[in-house]
Amino acid sequence: MTKPQTTRRPFPVLAIGFGVLVALALVVALVAALGGGGGRDGGPAEGVSETRPVTVDGQALAPDDGARPDPAVGRPAPAISGASSDGQPVSILNDGRAKLVMFVAHWCPHCRAEVPRVVQWTAAGAGQGVDLYAVSTGVNADAPNYPPSSWLEREGWTVPTVADDKSGTAADAWGLTGFPYFVAVRPDGTVAARASGELDRGQFDALVAAAHG
Amino acid sequence: MGTENVTLFLAMLAVIAEGAVLVALVVWACFRRNPRVVAARGVLVDGFSPVAVQLALCVALIATAGSLYFSEVSHFLPCRLCWYQRIAMYPLVPILAVAVWRRDPKVRYYALPLTVVGGLISTYHVLLEHFPSLETSVCEAANPCTLIWVRRFGYLTIPSMAWSAFALITVLLLVAGAGERRAARYEEEPDTVLEEVR
Repeated sequence: MTKPQTTRRPFPVLAIGFGVLVALALVVALVAALGGGGGRDGGPAEGVSETRPVTVDGQALAPDDGARPDPAVGRPAPAISGASSDGQPVSILNDGRAKLVMFVAHWCPHCRAEVPRVVQWTAAGAGQGVDLYAVSTGVNADAPNYPPSSWLEREGWTVPTVADDKSGTAADAWGLTGFPYFVAVRPDGTVAARASGELDRGQFDALVAAAHG
Repeated sequence: MGTENVTLFLAMLAVIAEGAVLVALVVWACFRRNPRVVAARGVLVDGFSPVAVQLALCVALIATAGSLYFSEVSHFLPCRLCWYQRIAMYPLVPILAVAVWRRDPKVRYYALPLTVVGGLISTYHVLLEHFPSLETSVCEAANPCTLIWVRRFGYLTIPSMAWSAFALITVLLLVAGAGERRAARYEEEPDTVLEEVR
């Protein structure tokens, strides 16, 4: 008696179907490419530049590596002279006033979470008696949420904001190691406290109080 | 073909991969209970197992090429978790290529640990993208893992596409294993095996 002849390895119809699906995906992508579809979010508006030259005067602060007591506390904060993204001059100088400076990056999810909170807190009266400044730095046109000027405008951000240069000169001079980054400066121009990361209202108020000296 | 279109292509492949993984999970979860699903499982295993390792190699090749495209052409800097996933994905290309060349059905024993570890890292990376405060409340100034370079179809990011690749390679290697066991069973009891797919 002979064993019935059967096909053990059938033609791989399913595998070929899978290959066809992959080829279809390639065709759709090619069609999209030829059609010129896609493209990132729009660039900055006319007359707006997301990075601008900045001038730093004074000795750079030590990078904030989280060491406490913070070696930068009590040191004079370097002065920053620059402009906002729309070209308006903005300077952070030793002018005898208490300040809180916030460094933000458009691509950082923690900055994107923190900015609306700060808008809300300041609208509710937080930060009274302290000049609030911001520095938009770490700008990368390939990264998400670009351009930062549009993002800040959407959030209702009215704080004077310096557009840092491409190499992040202002951020480096102030010892930034992570975003968002806050530096409280006393009226005498010395650093009162520094903090990195998302803050809650209590931490924000503590920085404001530290800036008051 | 710029970054946007490469991303679209890879995202569509990821959707196909996720669909395939979902089908495999449903068939695996139900196959003991329903005779029709047993038959479907037999058809799927018979259809895919002869080329499962080759397909897994294709997936690993596309994932590796896509990863290199993002870093070398699009200049998206790989973060720490991206590097860990690369460590798991890149060796799969030579491992699976050698297995295809030598027709080694046992390759799953070497490749599956990589795909499982890579898939777990991708899972964590995807979670970190959705919940940035899971690890820290600070973005590293240099290159944080929470940075989402691309997003397609509302949910597909680079780590989730990597997850799809790891998951599909895992499924294909398991299918190759099932095919090997099925072939061995066929040698012993051909009528039962043939009956299942009828």
